[in-house]
Amino acid sequence: MIQIKDLNFAYPRQQTLFSNLSMHLEAGSITGLLGKNGAGKTSLLKVITGLLHPKSGVISVLDYNPKKRDVSMLNNIFLVPEDFSFPEISINNYVKAYSPFYPRFDLQLLHRILSDFDLQANSMLQRLSYGQKKKFLIVFALATRCKLLVLDEPTNGLDIPSKSLFRKILAGSLDENQLVIISTHQVKDVENLIDQILILDSGKVIFQHTIQDISQKVSFISGTSDDLNGAIYSEAIPRGYRLMIPNSHSETEVDIELLFNAITKGKKIE
Amino acid sequence: MEPNNLFSIHRIILLTKQSLIINKKLIAISVVGLSGAIFFILMFLQLRSTIIRWDNSDYMTIFNYFFIALGIIYSGLSFPAFRSKERSIDYLLLPASVAEKYIFEILTRIVVFILIFPLLFWVFSNLEGVILHNFVPELINYKFSIWQGLLEILQKKMNIGLIDWWVWLLTIQGVLFLLIAPFTGASHFKKSPLLKTLFTFTIIIVGYAVLTYFLVIVLNTQGYEPKNGKVLFLNVGNNLPSIFAIAITVINLCLMTIAWFRLKEKEV
Repeated sequence: MIQIKDLNFAYPRQQTLFSNLSMHLEAGSITGLLGKNGAGKTSLLKVITGLLHPKSGVISVLDYNPKKRDVSMLNNIFLVPEDFSFPEISINNYVKAYSPFYPRFDLQLLHRILSDFDLQANSMLQRLSYGQKKKFLIVFALATRCKLLVLDEPTNGLDIPSKSLFRKILAGSLDENQLVIISTHQVKDVENLIDQILILDSGKVIFQHTIQDISQKVSFISGTSDDLNGAIYSEAIPRGYRLMIPNSHSETEVDIELLFNAITKGKKIE
Repeated sequence: MEPNNLFSIHRIILLTKQSLIINKKLIAISVVGLSGAIFFILMFLQLRSTIIRWDNSDYMTIFNYFFIALGIIYSGLSFPAFRSKERSIDYLLLPASVAEKYIFEILTRIVVFILIFPLLFWVFSNLEGVILHNFVPELINYKFSIWQGLLEILQKKMNIGLIDWWVWLLTIQGVLFLLIAPFTGASHFKKSPLLKTLFTFTIIIVGYAVLTYFLVIVLNTQGYEPKNGKVLFLNVGNNLPSIFAIAITVINLCLMTIAWFRLKEKEV
């Protein structure tokens, strides 16, 4: 679905952000895009959606060059940006104004998720809080049934119940032909949701593995200083350590935060 | 089925519907406000002038001022989504082709203005004329005809007897330039596009004037034989309207092309 090869990108009059970046993503996955501040997560999402144009390299999204912003591609892409603005209209009118552009738009799904998120269809968008607006945008994105959904910091501004609801709704509203990319700093919010992790650092993709693959290779446990020997990576926590160790016994839940810190500090899981 | 990636009337209709849903209040307020402004400004000016002498050419003068001022402001507000990053993202990712978005913007910012504003002015100036005539019978010429006004401008004020095709083209292209220049500026500049466009064209015109001054006055370049009062123009005899008509047509086409590429290559 997304193929990027030797992508180079720099903002005008700034240092190169992506240097020979390559990656490959297929449909049927929820991919977490992780990276430090300034690693270029949002910029990569903009390149993928055609909002920024690379200097060189090959990029193909749904078999289209995103730079051209072809209608057939735009029909199948929806971006939920971190910052957004809405016109001064109601949710109903917004749906009337924007949904006809998306051929697979599912009105029933929209109303179902609106009700799950406790949003009223006759509410004026400008009167909603930031979190409610974000929830509506996520609802609309899911209802478009686009093949590629790109969510930039989707849980920012959501309250605690909405975050778990977000995970539940997202997992339950997708089909195997869709790809979701979630860029986030709030890794706890997407645990148990994403099935693939992609880490961006120093202008390159330094890590891309499925959760299944990770949990087959490493385990995440809590231990004491006695367990530090043999750990691939460890971090002190109150009353002990969190450890990433080679998997020798059973699979454990992936601690994404620990994994991210380990990978960005040069540790390998192979 | 693969949609047509270049142009679809269906998507132009969708863009129109979308614009009406989002902007219906703004459109209604603007039309009411503009109608009121035409009505009361005309009444004010007529009551302040020697009303018995008021005629079609006075209406035409007011019409021209309104048309130019509002046209520049309105087309300078083209591509409203480009004023913020968030709205630009929304606009650029909307599933419609560059051609559709571009044509829709031309239609709503230039074509609709050219068609609707004269109609609106004609309706409300005649309405105002009839009402004022009832109270002030000295207002004899209270009927306004845009067509007659245009013919007067072309025939009498330019003092050329018969209407020359080049003069027509020059007039049309000149009017279009006043709308296209701010349109292009709005596609290029993110903040305060109208001010920046006016500044840009001021710089170009001042630059042209300074260059011509040096060529003609300082360097005394051969080939320039400026007539009195026409120091900024080449001495081309009676071909002046045709040369200017061609030049301004080319400028307009270039400006339209720039606007197209600004939209096509827009990044956020």
